[in-house]
Amino acid sequence: MTKQVWTLRDPLRLRGLLLRSALTVIVASLLAGIVAVAYTAQGTSQRAHRASETRLNELLDTVESTLAVACFAKDQTLAGELAQGLLSNSDVLSVRITSEQEVLADMGRGPAGGPQPATLLNRPIYSPFDRQKQVGHIQLSPDPLVIDAWIREEVWFTAIQLSWQLGMVTFAVVVIMLLFIVRPIKAMSDRLHGMNPAAGERLAIPKTHAHTEIGQLVIDINALSDSLVSALATEHQLRIQGEVDEKKYHTIFDNAESGLFLIDRHGVLSSWNPAFARLFDIHQMPVNGNLSLLNVRQLPWQNPDRVIELVQNALHQNRAVTQDLQVQLQSSQRSWVNMVLRSVDNNLLQGVVHDVSHLKESEASARQLAITDPLTGVANRQGLEARLHDHVQDYAASKSGGFALLLINLDDFRRINEGMGLPVGDSILQTTSKRLSACLKSDDTLARLAADNFGIILNHITDGEVLERIISRIMQEIRQTCFVDGSPINLRASMGVTLFPSDGFDVPQLLRQTELAMDSAKTAGGDNHVFFDPKLTEAAEYRRHLESDLRSAILHHEFVLFYQPVIDLRAQRLVGAEALIRWRHPTRGLISPDHFIPLAEKTGMIVDIGLFVVDAACQQLLAWNKQGLAYTLSLNVSGRQIPDGLSPAKLLAVVQHYGIAPGQLALEITEGVMLRDIEQSLQWLKSVHAMGFRVYLDDFGTGYSSLSYLKLFPLTTLKVDKSFVQDMQDGNNEHTLVGAIIAMGKSLGLEIVAEGVELKSHAAALERMGCHYAQGHYFSQPVPEEEFCAVAARLTALLAQPTV
Amino acid sequence: MMKSMLPALLVVLLVSGGGVNAEPVVVVNAASAVRQLSKDEVVNIFLGRYRRLPNGETAIPIDQPESSALRSDFYRKLVNKDLNEINAYWARLIFSGRTSPPVQAASAAEVTTLLVGSVSSVAYLDRSQADNRFRIVLEFPP
Repeated sequence: MTKQVWTLRDPLRLRGLLLRSALTVIVASLLAGIVAVAYTAQGTSQRAHRASETRLNELLDTVESTLAVACFAKDQTLAGELAQGLLSNSDVLSVRITSEQEVLADMGRGPAGGPQPATLLNRPIYSPFDRQKQVGHIQLSPDPLVIDAWIREEVWFTAIQLSWQLGMVTFAVVVIMLLFIVRPIKAMSDRLHGMNPAAGERLAIPKTHAHTEIGQLVIDINALSDSLVSALATEHQLRIQGEVDEKKYHTIFDNAESGLFLIDRHGVLSSWNPAFARLFDIHQMPVNGNLSLLNVRQLPWQNPDRVIELVQNALHQNRAVTQDLQVQLQSSQRSWVNMVLRSVDNNLLQGVVHDVSHLKESEASARQLAITDPLTGVANRQGLEARLHDHVQDYAASKSGGFALLLINLDDFRRINEGMGLPVGDSILQTTSKRLSACLKSDDTLARLAADNFGIILNHITDGEVLERIISRIMQEIRQTCFVDGSPINLRASMGVTLFPSDGFDVPQLLRQTELAMDSAKTAGGDNHVFFDPKLTEAAEYRRHLESDLRSAILHHEFVLFYQPVIDLRAQRLVGAEALIRWRHPTRGLISPDHFIPLAEKTGMIVDIGLFVVDAACQQLLAWNKQGLAYTLSLNVSGRQIPDGLSPAKLLAVVQHYGIAPGQLALEITEGVMLRDIEQSLQWLKSVHAMGFRVYLDDFGTGYSSLSYLKLFPLTTLKVDKSFVQDMQDGNNEHTLVGAIIAMGKSLGLEIVAEGVELKSHAAALERMGCHYAQGHYFSQPVPEEEFCAVAARLTALLAQPTV
Repeated sequence: MMKSMLPALLVVLLVSGGGVNAEPVVVVNAASAVRQLSKDEVVNIFLGRYRRLPNGETAIPIDQPESSALRSDFYRKLVNKDLNEINAYWARLIFSGRTSPPVQAASAAEVTTLLVGSVSSVAYLDRSQADNRFRIVLEFPP
């Protein structure tokens, strides 16, 4: 059908081309012709006027001399004759000759009212005898009709010539168009109608057009056909690929486990997958009966505002935004979904939703676990700290309230754990936790911080009396006997108490202060409670400084030994000394052992210090030996040094190194040492005793003063505590007691050393009681090594005096 | 032949020599009121343009005889034309009758006679002939 129409219209179209070009040529030629004729007319007119003027001038020239005579003599007859002569020329329309004042001749042809001549020819007439002198003038008017006729003739001729040329050119153009353009195009057009480019058919180049624009056009059309055919093939391939891809994406979309959906900027859902419908039970939801206008806002959110906010965020930020959102569905357990939204263009958002309920549950339980003590079910340290922070913040916000923080440590819990086993310990902790919990109100907090450490926050406690009441109730609860596997256990506890905000505003500081108070309660013997006192912080601070100083003292050898002479009361001579440690602090001067030995024992630094003491003592003994002085030296051994800190082997190695007889060295121990671990202590004592070291029991009378221990331990000497000796007066209790101790010691075969001899009377009394040795201020203060010689000399002199 | 031609040649030479010596001056009757005439006034009077004296009286110009050397000298000096040209001029005008050439004297003597007889007459004479009966109104520069 289409082809038929083409063929019918074909000649018309081609003729149209021919007609159009011919018309164009004609119109263009006509325009050019009109312009040419107009130009010719203009030019001809000018030339005609010029020629007419020239002829008239020439005419005048021939009669000029006669005219001059006529005008000079003002001869009208002569002038009239001349005018008549001039008028006989067809170009001249009128003549007018004037002398200076009068008209000599004025003649014309034709009607008076004829056309006014376009131009007038004026010429002055000069005297025949004087060329400078004008005697008149002549005025000639040419005949315009004559000139016009001449112009018309010229124009007509030009027009005829142009028409003839125009006809020729038009004919030539039509013939050329037909031959060189219309015919080959027609041939190409005919061929194109029947051509099938897909089958590889192409146009042939018309003969003789191999190198013309027509030939190039054929080549271009063929190239275009090639590229169109290839583009069509590619497009076809792409369409097939697109269909395959779309099927793939549909499969992914329909089978995805996550809910996928598209919404517009107002939240109206335009598309969603089955997983999305399942997540929100969309097919069951009443959406005013119109499922296609469902808005994401209408889904059963706990808080729809957050969804709207998320949509707005996704629209404003050019990236994916995500949030966990809570949903409320009657039909399922699901409570949380995670939604990711991303704007894909200005008006469309793409979203992914999946169920994160399980994740949320495990997160919540993990969070709970992190702040809960698994054994007792109460809060742990993190939980307590979190609550403390909350309370502090609440207080900061409202400036009202306050609370008390209690830390409780069970006394001797380690012994129970070691003695009765961990399960018993755990059971006790659980029981304690229950009992403590029973003492608290609902807004109080109970936590187990570690092992047997409990923490309690008593909220809104500002009244000291109420606090005391609660504390005593807690202590009572703890003291109640608890039965584990039928066996009764009596518990005691030490408690530290701080008050917020009066004791501190900072949570870590508050906890530290409470701990200090608790330690203080513990140190005071346990089973009590201590309120935090700023002095505790000071003391702790002091201890911290002291500890670091002590470490540096060991490194820098800041310790020295002082020696207190020991006198043989029977022989009345110096027999040795007790070595006492002193610390030469670089800034604080000499520090007595009472201030640093307890800390050294607590930190274990006593071991290093002890080794130094033994070494220094042996060095001193060696020095005395070299002077021929066979003194003995006693030194104090702390419980922490037994058994490994100052092992028998180490002791022996040192004395052997200096070549000292072990018998010159006495080791002073206290009863407390033996109470720590009887087996180990006894083992140590036996070893050193066997090696030949002397063993003194120090401070006898102040502690247990157990007679069975005196028998059990391999001792050589007993030292009577200075508290008895220095208060000794004739007939008083101390006097009697010292006598009894001396008697008892001697009966056990032990030597006796009395400490704290401050008066001559003391020395005399002791001597009378049969005490072997004595030391004290009466004889000498402890002195440094370099003074000892002088002291020894003074003592020798003193002892040489006859006793009273 | 040579001998017969020689006197004729001499006459010509004399005449022309006399012409050379001749010096035309324009004169009027000594009784005339006219004291002086311009060259233009003389041209107008002799060539028929205006025939009036400056005082308004009609002027009557008098020409020397046709063959007079003075006559050709006069026209040569007045308008720089030879006598043929002057004659051709009058030939164009005589026909219409509007004006006429000057009075033609038959001889030089007649000129003086006519001058003496009329105070309106204007004529030209050789300077030598201008005696106290006449007044020179225009002299040509040499």
